Amino acid sequence: MAKPTVILIGADKGGVGKTTIARTLLDYFGARHVPTRAFDTEWPRGTLKRFNPDVTEIVDVASVSDQMKIFDTVSSVDAKVTVIDVRAGLLSSTLQALRNIGFIELGKTGQITLAMFHILGPSIASLEEIEETAHFVGDANYFLVKNHINETSFFEWNPATCKSYFKRIKGAEEITIPKLNEMTCEQVEVAGVPYVSFVANKNAKGETANYSFVLRGYVRHWLGRVWQEFDRVKLLDLVSPKPEKKIHQIAG
Amino acid sequence: MSIRNSIAIVASPRPRVGKTLLARVLTDFHLYEGRSVAAFDLNAAGEGTLAQFLPEHVTRSSIDDLEGQMALFDRLIAEDGAIKIIDVGRASFEPFFTLASQFGFAEEARRQEIVPVLLYLMTPDRTSVEAYRNLCGRLPEAVLAPVHNEVFGVAQHGNKYAPIGSGTVIIRFPLLASNVRKYVERPPFSFANSESAAVLDADDYIELQHWLRRIYREFRELDQRILLTDLNSDAARTVTKR
Repeated sequence: MAKPTVILIGADKGGVGKTTIARTLLDYFGARHVPTRAFDTEWPRGTLKRFNPDVTEIVDVASVSDQMKIFDTVSSVDAKVTVIDVRAGLLSSTLQALRNIGFIELGKTGQITLAMFHILGPSIASLEEIEETAHFVGDANYFLVKNHINETSFFEWNPATCKSYFKRIKGAEEITIPKLNEMTCEQVEVAGVPYVSFVANKNAKGETANYSFVLRGYVRHWLGRVWQEFDRVKLLDLVSPKPEKKIHQIAG
Repeated sequence: MSIRNSIAIVASPRPRVGKTLLARVLTDFHLYEGRSVAAFDLNAAGEGTLAQFLPEHVTRSSIDDLEGQMALFDRLIAEDGAIKIIDVGRASFEPFFTLASQFGFAEEARRQEIVPVLLYLMTPDRTSVEAYRNLCGRLPEAVLAPVHNEVFGVAQHGNKYAPIGSGTVIIRFPLLASNVRKYVERPPFSFANSESAAVLDADDYIELQHWLRRIYREFRELDQRILLTDLNSDAARTVTKR
């Protein structure tokens, strides 16, 4: 039996697009028929839950009972991948809690595959977060995600400074998420459906919707580029699924 | 599927090759046949644009911003029973096909049982040949119809525009005599409207009708080819299923 994969998505800074990345990951694995579940730690009201209600549960990651709900079930559920959207400001404390309960150790000993998606904002504070979180996760698969979705002028860091921070995590992969235009973002928000449903012109009930073809086209193109990034870093190799054909018909 | 439920894209990366004249005749062909037509002019404002010739049936469009893109593409895909015709000006050529490719325009049209037809005005230059080959790859779901405008002489293209796929068909765009051309190039002018032709003398009128019959026959043959290709595809799918 393949070992389970846990993907943590976080940043101590808010508004950098953590939930966006979580949604693209759920769509990515869904399109490849990899059973996936998600936990939204924006307790008591989660954003991820609104878009992907079928696979998402809202939890209070600070509570022991909810920690049990997430981590004690990693190996026992059908879902091969567990995606955890960590609420802003809780990344360091969540990682601390995971270390305390020995969960990070499970990743180090190879009993689970642990991956960290660290979503970076445009400020230098984001780079400093890398240093804070790096020592928690150690050998975990670490992805530094430059998310351009909410900013027009993004990452105007000094490249040398940026590189010096990135180098502090051995083997960290860099992922760049392209910008999706504001009107399209807004309409997907209003629709309240996964990106793949929006592209397929389906509402939350699975019925044919009336979304703009152009906006669907923009999401299709954008999602395709995001998935190309996931393919580039061989994300699927982490969970070793069976190969599926015709996946790129969903997002071009 | 049929040309009666189609989106015709009239294009070329070269200027002054007959795009607008072809778009006009195609619009008027459908009107003559009693069909509902919505045409879109992607040319910059100027003399002799599609919108000037057929103002009642043509919407001037721009894809420079999101609003313009939505106004055009969403309308093209809308299920309103109208045949859509787009005159893609030279300046809009690359942006239009880039967006169409990114949006999955041809696939979406097919899903809605609309035939996307690319009427590509052939010229022998390298730019045009390369752009055509590039479009073949970018719009695999479209019916490719390279158009040979006889104003440029005959058989000058060799194998540069080799048919690609079973749906490809070359359309011959006959030369219009200069004595008639001088009348039809004064906007507004509709080939389908008898009032427009009233200014022509008897000989010129006959000449024009003869020319129209030839090009209309080309459009009908294109329609037959689309139907046949579709039937062949259906038959092939049935055999595969068995």
